[in-house]
Amino acid sequence: MSDVLIRVRDLTRDYRLIKRREGVVGGLVDLVRPRWSTLRAVADVSFDIAPGEMVGYIGANGAGKSTTIKMLTGILTPTGGEVTVGGLVPWKQRRQYTRHIGAVFGQRTQLWWDLAVVESFRLLKKIYEVPDDVYAAQMGVFNELLGIDEFLHQPVRKLSLGQRMRCDLAAALLHKPRILFLDEPTIGLDVVAKENVRRFLREIRDLQGVTVILTTHDLGDIEQLCRRVMIIDKGRVHFDGELEELRRRTGHRVRMTVDFREPTSGARLATVTAGLPVVWQEGEGRRHVAEFRRLDVAGADVIKRVVNDCPVRDLALAEPDIEEIVREIYRDSAAAAAPAPGRSA
Amino acid sequence: MDDAQGTLARLPERAFWPQVRWQAGIFGAYFGQFVKTRLAYRMDFLVDTLGVLASIGIQLAVLTTLFSKVSALQGWSFEQVLFIYGFSLVPLGLFNLVSVNLYGFSDAYIIEGKFDRVLLRPVNPLAQVLCESFNISGLNEIALGLVVTVWAGIRLGLQPGALDVLALLVLAPTAALVYLGVFLAITAVSFWFEDRMGIAPPVYNVIRFSRYPLTIYSLPVRILLTFVLPFAWVAYYPATWFVGGADLKFVAALTPLVGLVVFGGAVLVWRRGVRNYTSTGT
Ligand SMILES: Nc1ncnc2c1ncn2[C@@H]1O[C@H](COP(=O)(O)OP(=O)(O)O)[C@@H](O)[C@H]1O
Ligand SMILES: [Mg+2]
Repeated sequence: MSDVLIRVRDLTRDYRLIKRREGVVGGLVDLVRPRWSTLRAVADVSFDIAPGEMVGYIGANGAGKSTTIKMLTGILTPTGGEVTVGGLVPWKQRRQYTRHIGAVFGQRTQLWWDLAVVESFRLLKKIYEVPDDVYAAQMGVFNELLGIDEFLHQPVRKLSLGQRMRCDLAAALLHKPRILFLDEPTIGLDVVAKENVRRFLREIRDLQGVTVILTTHDLGDIEQLCRRVMIIDKGRVHFDGELEELRRRTGHRVRMTVDFREPTSGARLATVTAGLPVVWQEGEGRRHVAEFRRLDVAGADVIKRVVNDCPVRDLALAEPDIEEIVREIYRDSAAAAAPAPGRSA
Repeated sequence: MDDAQGTLARLPERAFWPQVRWQAGIFGAYFGQFVKTRLAYRMDFLVDTLGVLASIGIQLAVLTTLFSKVSALQGWSFEQVLFIYGFSLVPLGLFNLVSVNLYGFSDAYIIEGKFDRVLLRPVNPLAQVLCESFNISGLNEIALGLVVTVWAGIRLGLQPGALDVLALLVLAPTAALVYLGVFLAITAVSFWFEDRMGIAPPVYNVIRFSRYPLTIYSLPVRILLTFVLPFAWVAYYPATWFVGGADLKFVAALTPLVGLVVFGGAVLVWRRGVRNYTSTGT
């Protein structure tokens, strides 16, 4: 089938962890007779990805995102399940497969620490057998979109995190891969650098039609880049669908933070919004937080009531962050006691 | 290049010699990069060179002093012992040149997770690990070893023919494979266990026993160096091609076989280790 590029079925990965005994004697006993426990980092994950898709893979820390990416890129051998990408099995046909993929791990550079950036690129050109004209064209694109010519002659270890990330992106794309895997590409970056990375990814997708899977725990990445989202928690996929669908399921929940001019009691606020489906969280003094769903009530109505009744200094509306959405989706799917929803095709 | 949207094109596998040539090109590229970064540390190279010179000088002085007291050691003349010693430096230098990354492998590649990056590239992972760093002073050992060997050979009045030159070209690198195999196998163990004990350093110390004629050692040591930690195959056995009797030429000719078996076995262990690689959590 040519409309599936990445096919994943029941993908599972366990880690064996040594359970350490205490003390010096315990340490010696550990050497001779270790006690193992098993941690299932990824459990029965299945999905298909079509060529050209840009998919967000989100979840809290420790959810299993990196482990999944490492199996998809062939770094780790799964404990169970199947992965085929364009007919290749990543960890078995590594030399064929790696020519077609690029990968960026936000936590760790893929470049050689001591080499100047341009030397790293030359080495990669040789390794991936990139023809001269393709190399020149790609470098042109990277200079234009990422401005890497500014620090081409500096060793990688001297780059700032943002500069390093730009280089890592360029290095991962130098050989024009069909698929790009990004593990937390915006982690630790400041707002401007984040924005630059996102803009670059949009442009490169439009320019070179690369299929992208990106993990993040920053919903902003997803909103700006991906139509399709998968949510993973404790190794299981709990949601796989369009971002819009995700919003709808959480009912476009918003959190409203209000700073009043004078200390205000929770009871007072409850009466102010009586009749509206608004929940005030425990608050004290001048700052209070309310939650409601945009599906149930218009934000303007809530704000109007509050502002009319109490003197307000400042007010902010915020979408829930990823941890909350994940928790909510997780609760839903646990409550329904049903398997994770399939992709609504 | 890609025939359909949902498939990834398979590149034709290279035939044997083109593959060798390609791999050699990659080796050259890595080596060139390494030398370039090291040019910034010229002092290091100088200090390394002096260090190698000093340690070889001391060993030569010991041999000379020894032979000023006795004329032969278990039937081996000064020149013969010197020849074996000089020969031993060539495989050792070759091995030292490429093996630096094996020592820090557990820390740098496994615990730090640098091996992830190696697995993401379409070049043999072992070749990458060996090529990512070099120990240039291995070149010093090779050069000095050749000087000592040739000098001892002249003193012995050897008349090397074309076959002997060929033998040197084959024996020295395959002897180096014995070292490489042993240390590769030890390194590969770190895919399963954190090697906190460090078995490599004591084994490395055994190397020094391989520089002298095997017959000067007791039987257990001879058995150990021939079959268990087969370092006798690095210098003594191959060198007997040149300085032993005609009956020993057959044993010397087994060196390439031993080298390939030891290294091949180690590669199998290594490959299993790679499959067992668990990367690191964040
Ligand atoms: N190499 C490893 N060895 C042991 N446990 C690991 C390893 N890598 C990850 N884990 C564990 O597996 C779980 C999933 O980790 P990971 O895939 O890194 O999650 P994420 O990328 O979503 O933060 C975590 O509990 C983590 O501690
Ligand atoms: Mg992670």
